[in-house]
Amino acid sequence: MIRTASLALTLFIVSIFLPGSTFAGGPEGKKIFEAKKCGACHQVEGPAKEKTIQDQLAKKGPELWYAGSKFKKGFLEAWLADPKPIRPLEYNSITKKNDGSHPKLSGKEALDAAAYLMTLKSSAVKDGAVQPKDTPKGRAIFIKRQACYGCHEVKVRGNAAGGLSGPSFVGVAMRLNPDWIYAYLTNPKVFKPVKDMPDYVGILTYSEMRDLAAYAATLN
Amino acid sequence: MPNFRYRYILASIAAISLILLSSKASFAAAAEENYKFYCSQCHGLEGKGDGPNATKSQPVDPRDHTSAAEMNKLTDEDIINSIADGGAATSKSTLMPPFSETLTRQEIAALKDYVRKLCRCKGK
Repeated sequence: MIRTASLALTLFIVSIFLPGSTFAGGPEGKKIFEAKKCGACHQVEGPAKEKTIQDQLAKKGPELWYAGSKFKKGFLEAWLADPKPIRPLEYNSITKKNDGSHPKLSGKEALDAAAYLMTLKSSAVKDGAVQPKDTPKGRAIFIKRQACYGCHEVKVRGNAAGGLSGPSFVGVAMRLNPDWIYAYLTNPKVFKPVKDMPDYVGILTYSEMRDLAAYAATLN
Repeated sequence: MPNFRYRYILASIAAISLILLSSKASFAAAAEENYKFYCSQCHGLEGKGDGPNATKSQPVDPRDHTSAAEMNKLTDEDIINSIADGGAATSKSTLMPPFSETLTRQEIAALKDYVRKLCRCKGK
């Protein structure tokens, strides 16, 4: 009995210091999130509530209730401490440039807030669904068949190219969980019921969406 | 009695007219709202082909929906097919994405009417 209890205590203490643990900083991060009033712009409780275009346009910032399924922890930690625009334009605007004025957190705050955000998961994202892979099929869909770069900026021979209305795809490999990209393509209404990007379910096959997600996940 | 029947017919006509007018008004607003939300990303808020995705690095420019000369080259069916199935449906650039799984057929038809208003043209 004593041995079991001490083993459990040891595991708990070890888990606090393990990378990716939800114990490290999670509750502290939530306090920071609330103190900084991040919820004024970011929804942290699912499910998605928008039903109309007006509902979507009323949102001030991206929803974060599935942030732990969408982002990579290392990216969140670095970005919260030194935020740089992910979207070339302001959220929900097609005319105003994103001036990069997102509040910046201190190093410790960023680590704690990232740990908290990583606890916000969506059951619609299945772990291990997609591995990043640059395949001819995925590349062809991204560049030729659906021309995703039309709305999402990419890097071509070191220079930014493509459209500006969607989030930039520069640095996706560092930023996004490939499994979330696949889930977003295959089940978009769970995450964003009303969005300006077309739905591709019924246009691409699930196999093609897997290839596309795998390719997008390689973009730097 | 005839007077009552006359009033009844008049009231019915007025009611039907009101319903038709109000449904047409919301129809127009929905098309404009959809245009500004979906189409303006490339075609611009006023349809001049100058949305934020019309960058210099793109291989083709979005179509200027206010250009009667350009838009007259397309039939109504071409416009509907382009919106539903993307540029590839009319042998144009795939930079025009497909909206068949995003918008209803009615919304797409209403967008076609809205685009025709922008160009003030009827097409081929």
